[in-house]
This record gives sequence, C-alpha cells and structure tokens, in this order.
Amino acid sequence: MSEDRGERRPRPRGVRRPRRKVCAFCVDKIEYIDYKDINRLRRFTNERGKILPRRMSGNCAKHQRQLSEAIKRARAIALMPYTAD
Amino acid sequence: MNRYEMIYIIDTGLEEAARQELVEKVSSLITANGGEIEKVDETWGKRRLAYAIDYKTEGWYVLVTFKAPAELPRELERNLQINENVLRYLVVKLVEKRSSVKPRPVQAAPAEEAAPAVEQAPVEEAAPAEEAAPAEDAE
Repeated sequence: MSEDRGERRPRPRGVRRPRRKVCAFCVDKIEYIDYKDINRLRRFTNERGKILPRRMSGNCAKHQRQLSEAIKRARAIALMPYTAD
Repeated sequence: MNRYEMIYIIDTGLEEAARQELVEKVSSLITANGGEIEKVDETWGKRRLAYAIDYKTEGWYVLVTFKAPAELPRELERNLQINENVLRYLVVKLVEKRSSVKPRPVQAAPAEEAAPAVEQAPVEEAAPAEEAAPAEDAE
C-alpha cells in the first residue's frame, strides 16, 4: 500500500501539460481564409500534404472548418497537392 | 446578383493568341448571360501544378471576379467542362469578409478595424448565412 502510494504521487507532477495553443487565425483576426493563400495554408498540412488535426494546429473549431475547406479548394485547382511523396 | 470568383487553368500548350481568345470567350460568356466582370487577373500566369493533370505539369492560371445572377455559374461550368484547353476550373461565391490575403475589395481591412462595436454587430449577424453558402457552391 505505502509503496503504491509512493509511486503514485510523482505522477501528477510528472505529467507535462503542453501550453494550450491559440488559433493562428484568431490572432491575425482573419475572417475568411482564402484558398489562394497557399503559403499560409501550407503551414497547416504535413509534408505529405495532409491537413493537420486541430490538436496539432491549435486552431479554433470555426477556423479549422474554414481552413479545411480552403485547403480542399486549393487542392481542386492544383495549388496544393492531395498527396506528396 | 452575387459576387463570384473563378479560377481556371488553361493548357500551356496553347499559344498566346489562342489563349487570349479563350480568356475573351469566357469573359463574353459571363457578360452575355447577365454577368458583370469586375476583374480578369492573369498575374499568376504560368504556374507549376501541384500534381499532374492529364500528364501536364504546368498551367496558365486565370482569375476572374464577377457579379452574376445565381444561375450563371452552372452555365459557366458547363462550358468550361466542354473546353478541352481548360484543365481545371473553380467557381466560388465571394464572402465579404476580411481575407487572409490583402486585396479583398468592397471592405478595406483598415476601415473595418477602425469601426466601433456598433458597426461590427451586423457583420457578425450576417456571417453564418454567408459562411454556409460558399460551401454549397464549391462542390
């Protein structure tokens, strides 16, 4: 028992909670994410061209929705890749 | 009348004169069907495609902004589909909001920023309807 408790105690301290990221689009006060702005959009895809999830990009729900829409449009007209290898 | 933005990609195999003719043809198609062209922008010009389309790695990008009745994009897309020199096209309804890229006409960004809270309220109210609209147009 006492051993168990001894092991348990350091855990809460050991859990590193990463700082909550803030939405990059809210910071820049962007209301419409343009699909032509590929330099900005590219930051939210990985090197394979996949859209980063919200937990990685830190975007708010509203902007993440707009962002994925914009990236998909950009893909449709060959501004961004669907896949890259 | 809605405001739309259209991008289309022309085959770079097409020589200059024929390309201009095609751009002209598309523009006249818009005006003939009750549309009103605001701007034809070819500043992107020849660009590398992110992926090959019909084994082509380059394309000539043309960006057109226009005002048009709601039935026009369908007709426009039908015509672009037929033309084999057009590799891709995309017609999007414009949302009057501050964009991530600078030139978005109608509302200049600094004016909007300077606007007091009273001015901002109607903008936010109009937002949900406008947001939903372009999604339908795009696909």
